[in-house]
Amino acid sequence: MKIQTSIIVLVLFILFSSSCQKVITPQLSNGAPQLVIEGTVSDTTGPYHINISKTVGFYADNIYPNVSGATVTITDQTAGVNDLLTETSTGIYTTHSIVGTPGHTYQLQVLLNGKNYTAVSTMPLPVALDSITFDYTSIKNMIQPVVHYQDPAAFVNYYKYNITVNGVKLNRFQTDEDRLMNGKYINEDLVTDTGAIKKNNLILVNLDGIDKGAYNFLQEAENIAFYNDQLATPATPTSNISGGGLGYFSAQTVSSKSAVVK
Amino acid sequence: MLQLKHLVIILLLLSPVLVLAQSKKTFTISGTIKDKASGETLPAATVSFVELPGKGITSNSYGFYAISIPEGSYTMLTTYTGYTTDTLKILLTKNMLINKSLASASGQLQEVKIKSSTARSNNILTTPAGVQRLNIKDIDNVPVLLGEKDVLKTIQLLPGIVSAGDGNAGFFVRGGSADQNLILLDEATVYNPSHFLGFFSVFNSDAIKDISIYKGGMPANYGGRLSSVEDIQMNDGNNQKFGASGGIGLIASRLTVDGPLFDNKGSFIISARRSYVDLFTGFASDTTTKHSKIYFYDVNLKGNYQIDSINRIFLSGYFGKDVMSFRNSYGLNYGNSTGTLRWNHIFSSKLFSNTSLIYSNYTYDVDFDNSLDNIKVSSAITDYHFKQDFTYYLNSSNKLGFGLESTYHITQPGTAIATASSSYNDVFLEKKYALESALYLSDEWNVSDKLKITYGVRLSDLNVLGPGNFYTYDKDGNKTDSTYYKSGKIVKSYITPEPRFAASYQLNPNSSVKLSYDRNVQNIHLLNNSAYLSTTNVYLPSSNNIKPEIADQVALGYYHTFHNNGFELSSEIYYKNLQNQIDYKNGADLVGNPNIEADLLYGSGRAYGWETYIKKKSGKFTGWISYTLSKTELKIPGINNGDYYPATQDQTNHISLVGMYQATKKWTFSADFVYNTGDAVTWPSGKFSVDGAPVYYYGARNSNRLPAYNRLDIGATLLAKKTAKYESSWTFSIYNVYGQSNPYDIIFQADPNNANKTQVQQTTLFKMVPSVTYNFKF
Repeated sequence: MKIQTSIIVLVLFILFSSSCQKVITPQLSNGAPQLVIEGTVSDTTGPYHINISKTVGFYADNIYPNVSGATVTITDQTAGVNDLLTETSTGIYTTHSIVGTPGHTYQLQVLLNGKNYTAVSTMPLPVALDSITFDYTSIKNMIQPVVHYQDPAAFVNYYKYNITVNGVKLNRFQTDEDRLMNGKYINEDLVTDTGAIKKNNLILVNLDGIDKGAYNFLQEAENIAFYNDQLATPATPTSNISGGGLGYFSAQTVSSKSAVVK
Repeated sequence: MLQLKHLVIILLLLSPVLVLAQSKKTFTISGTIKDKASGETLPAATVSFVELPGKGITSNSYGFYAISIPEGSYTMLTTYTGYTTDTLKILLTKNMLINKSLASASGQLQEVKIKSSTARSNNILTTPAGVQRLNIKDIDNVPVLLGEKDVLKTIQLLPGIVSAGDGNAGFFVRGGSADQNLILLDEATVYNPSHFLGFFSVFNSDAIKDISIYKGGMPANYGGRLSSVEDIQMNDGNNQKFGASGGIGLIASRLTVDGPLFDNKGSFIISARRSYVDLFTGFASDTTTKHSKIYFYDVNLKGNYQIDSINRIFLSGYFGKDVMSFRNSYGLNYGNSTGTLRWNHIFSSKLFSNTSLIYSNYTYDVDFDNSLDNIKVSSAITDYHFKQDFTYYLNSSNKLGFGLESTYHITQPGTAIATASSSYNDVFLEKKYALESALYLSDEWNVSDKLKITYGVRLSDLNVLGPGNFYTYDKDGNKTDSTYYKSGKIVKSYITPEPRFAASYQLNPNSSVKLSYDRNVQNIHLLNNSAYLSTTNVYLPSSNNIKPEIADQVALGYYHTFHNNGFELSSEIYYKNLQNQIDYKNGADLVGNPNIEADLLYGSGRAYGWETYIKKKSGKFTGWISYTLSKTELKIPGINNGDYYPATQDQTNHISLVGMYQATKKWTFSADFVYNTGDAVTWPSGKFSVDGAPVYYYGARNSNRLPAYNRLDIGATLLAKKTAKYESSWTFSIYNVYGQSNPYDIIFQADPNNANKTQVQQTTLFKMVPSVTYNFKF
C-alpha cells in the first residue's frame, strides 16, 4: 500500500503542481490519560526493562510522564523462574535474574493502584541477519538500508526492524511477517525519512524476531504512526496486555549488523 | 417452493390489471422516436394526445413506444427536451405504426419552450420520485476540472449525490457508500469508473447519449446495488451522414467518428481518448519524473443495424486502461472492458423485447520490479451476463415490464507471481464463483389522469458456487470448519424478494406529489479499508459468511413547475434502512489474504434526508440550486460499543449552485459553487511512545469532522465558427477560482523540524487550476 501512495504522489507531481501542503491545527478531543506499558525480554544479555508511563495530548510535547509505584513481575513460565523487578528510576522497572531464552514463554504482571495488567509472550527461535546494504536509488536524497536474511520455512515468523545512525536510534520502526514470504531469502528496503541517513554514517540495523501478539500490536502501531492518512478508520492499536492498558510486551530475539554508507 | 409463493404474490399484485381490462374498442399506436439529423433513437421522449389529458407514454431506452387508446381522432404530440415538439393529426381506426423524427431545437437548449400544457403535466407525472435524467447536452457548459467534460462529476451537483472529494471518482448517493452505485454503460457494469486514480471518470462525453440516475424508486428491471443506478447509454452514431468531432485539451485529446452503414440501415460510432502528459515527462530533467510514466486511454465502439422493421441489433464495447509506472520499478495498470450485444425485437405493436449478452471485466496489476524483488500482483472480476426484457403495452392504462437476467461472476481476489530470487512466494487465492439471477415483473398503471402507480417485484437469487474451500470462523476469526465444494456445486443460496412501488398524484396542472418504496439487494461487495478509493480493490461475492446487503427506502416528494414551465422545483424526503453492512476489524489485511472473511464485521445502518432542487430551464440564464440535509449512521457490533455512529460519508449539509448565461450568440459563461459539511473522520485523542515513535490512540469512531468543503469554478465557451459543415469552439475554465485549500489528505505525524512535537499536515490537490480546450465538429 506504500506503493499506492508513491504513485499518487507522482501523479500529483506531474499533473498538478498546484497541489500543496500546510500544517493545520484542528481541534482534537483530549482523552483522559491512559496507562502505557512497554517492555521486552530478549536473547541478548540482560537486564531487561519495563517502562510504565501515561499518554499525553496530541499537541503536547513528546514527554510522557512515567508512573512509579507499580509491582512488576516477569515469570519464565517454561523454566519456572520468577523475577520481581526493581524500579531503578521513575517508571523504569529492571530485571535481576531472568535470562531470555528462545522458545521460552514469559509472563509480565503489573500491579498498579489495585489493578492487574498481564501479558504473555513466547520468544521465537532466532533468525540471523546476514548483512545490510544500501539502496540509493528509489527516491531522490533518500538512502535506505536493505536487510538480507533467510526466513525459516518451518515456522511462522514475525519481525521488527530498527535503525541506529552513528549510535543514535531513529524514532522509527518497521514490521514484517512471512505470510507471503515464508522460506524465502528476504531482501527488503527499510523506510527512512529523507535525509535521515547520509554518506559516511555508521548504520546499525536490528532484526528482532517477535511473536504474533507483539506483532499485531506493532504492525497496527506502525500504520497508525506513519500511515494514518491512508487508513479509512484508524483505531488504537490492539495491545497484547490484558487489563486495559496500551503498549506491548515482547519476548524477542535480536540480530544486528552494521555498515558504513559509501 | 419459495418461488411459487412469490409468483402467487405477483399475480395478486397484478390483479388491478386483470380487473381493469377494458371493454371499449381500442387500438395501439407504436413506433420509434429518433433524432432527425442523426437518426439516434431518443429514450424517454413523450407521446401524448391533446384530447386525452393525463394519458401519455415515454419511449423506452431504444426509443420505442406503444400506447393503446380508444378509436377516434387525435392530435398527437411528440416531445423531447431540447427538440421541437412534433404535432400530428391522426384518425385512429386501426393499429398504427408511427415513427417520429424530431428536429433538434435550433441551436440552444435554453430556447426550447414547451407550449403544450398536456406535455407539461405529463412531465410532472411521468418521472418517478428519486429519478433524475441528464441529457449530455445539459452538461456541456458546466465548468469542470481541466476541461474534461465528465458526466459522473456533473451528477455530483445534483441533490442527494455528493462527491467523495477532489481526486476521487467515488460518489455517495443518499448516504450509501461508493461501491453501492450500479454504474452501467450500455447495460454492462463498470466496476471502476476512474481514470488517474479518480481525477477523471472513464466516460468520454462524446460517446454518451444520456444518463438516468435512480436514487430511489428503482424500476424492477434494475438491481444489484443498494444506493443508486447510473444508467449510461452510448450514442448509436449518425445513420444519415458521416461526421467527426473531437477536442484538444490540456490533459487529453479525443476524436469521434460516426456515420451510416448498410445504406443507412445501420450506423457506427468510434470514440477514443488518450491523455498525453507522459509525452512530456520524458524530457524532464528530474530523473524520477523522467523514468516515470502515466497515461490513460479509452475507446468506445458501437454499431447497430436495423435488419427489418421489427429487428434491430446493437453491438457496443468499451475498453479503457490506465498505465502508471514509477522510476521503472513500480507499475500499476488497471482498466475496465465491457461488451454488449443486443437484439431488439418487436413481436407485435404491443410487445417489445430486448435480449442482451453482456461481458464486463475489471483487472488491475501491480508490478514491483527492482534489483531486490520482481513480483506481479493482480486481481480481477469478470461478469458474463444474459438479460431478457419484455415491455408489454397491455392497454392504454397499463404497461408491463417483465424479464429475467442471470450473471455469472468470477472474481479473482488476488494472485502474486514472483521470480525465484524475489523475497515473495507466489500466491494464488482461490477464485470465487457466483451466479446472480433475477426475475422481475412490474406494471406502470395510469389509474386516472391524475394518479399513476408503478409497482412490481424483483426476485433476486444468488447462488454461491464451487469449486473452492469454504470456511467458517469463530468470533476471533479462527477457522472452525472447512468444506471443499466441487465445481458448480451450490454452497449457499440467497433468495430475496425486492418489492418496488412508486406513485405520483397530480394535484393541479403544475404540481404533483410522489411516493416510493423500494428494496435493493447487493451481492458483490467491494472491500477497501484504505482512505482512498483505491484501484487495488478486492471484490467478493456474498458467501457463506458474507450475507447479501439489503436496503429498504421510502421517499416522499413534491414537484412543482411555475413561470410557464420555466422553473421546476422538487423537494423530497427519504428514509433508508440498511442491513448486513460490512466493516473491518482493526488491522485487517485485505491484500493476498485467503481468510479475508475472518477480518470482516457486519452491522446495520440508516440514512435519512431532505433534498430540494430548483431549476431555471429557460431564458438566457439557466441553472439550478440544489440543497441536501441528511444523516447517515452505522451500527456495527464491536465499534463504538455497538451504538450508532456517523458514516464517513455523512455530510450534513450539501449545497450546489450551477449557472449558465448565454451572453451573446458566441459567448456562454458559466459557474458552479459547491459547499458541503466535511466527512466524519477519526482523529487522535492523544499519543504515546512505541520504540521512540509517537503513536496515537483514538476515541469514538468518526467523532471528528474534516473542514467543510467549498469551491467555485468558472467557465466560458466561445463558439468560434459555426457553419453548416464545420463547428468549432473554445472552452476556458478555472477550477477552484478562489484557491480554497480543501483537504485531500491529512496526516498526523512527528514534526520533522522538532523531535519533541507532533503536527497535522494537510495536502490540497487543486488550488486554481486553469484550462483551455478546443472542440471541433464536422
